[in-house]
Amino acid sequence: MKIFFGEDGLPTGQTNSGQNIGVLCVDDSQFILKQLSQIFVSRHFTVVDTALNGAEALLKYKAKQADIHLITLDITMPEMDGLTALKKLKELDPDVNIIMVTALGTADTVKEAIKLGAKGYIVKPLDRGKVLERIGKIFG
Amino acid sequence: MLIDYINPFVEAAFEIMSEILNTPVSRGQLQLKKLGEGMQELTVIIGVTGTVSGRIVFDMSEVTAIKIAEKLNGETFPGITDMVRSTIAEVGNMVTARAVTKLSKESRTFNFSPPTIIMGSQMTFFESDDIEALIIPVNTDYGTIEINIAFKE
Repeated sequence: MKIFFGEDGLPTGQTNSGQNIGVLCVDDSQFILKQLSQIFVSRHFTVVDTALNGAEALLKYKAKQADIHLITLDITMPEMDGLTALKKLKELDPDVNIIMVTALGTADTVKEAIKLGAKGYIVKPLDRGKVLERIGKIFG
Repeated sequence: MLIDYINPFVEAAFEIMSEILNTPVSRGQLQLKKLGEGMQELTVIIGVTGTVSGRIVFDMSEVTAIKIAEKLNGETFPGITDMVRSTIAEVGNMVTARAVTKLSKESRTFNFSPPTIIMGSQMTFFESDDIEALIIPVNTDYGTIEINIAFKE
């Protein structure tokens, strides 16, 4: 899936064939979900759904898998953390694009996530430009 | 006092507050105070475990919490709403995570809990007597946040 980039060099929420990119945002913070949704909507991505923990993310991905092309996944969450959810999501669909969104910048956590199949990571606080750059690298 | 562990939290608080609020922050007078003494109206508690264990508490007035949430969300809030609580909890989470990242670079391993928010200034807290707590007031244009850090080995 090749994404369409705007004149500013940042990705848009559409592929070169005009298909919309659907996103599932997973974070236990409503504040972060709102920030991510605003960033994605501003670039015409479709925020298919949001989830407040890993367990909810699994259920929502199973239900809406055909519409979701990218998952943003927090690491520290109650009920089911991001690394566990990442493992289970990759078992469910080895091709799913997952980017970790975390306040933790520790090498061990990032290495573990990449080993488990994450395509990259974004460190909070969220910076709109950096978020979009990372997304661009996944689909570029 | 386990000052080597506390300094990264202070640095992280200053870095994150400056970054997200886009305003200078300054440190008030350090104090030793038991948790629960003279608490303000909105408190975020995050537990920390690892090389040492303890907790970090962010304490502020409702007015400060609302002003910070308004700045970060770009909208006004009529009071302490779910979004205000979520925003302030996430600020605490980001500060703690930044500090843990700093400590991990020194081969000190830590985990931390998702933030818990407590409302009200008349709460009573009970902690073991051997825990040492330091209060670092962080002054911002939006009000003062008291960061109460305590660890024990």
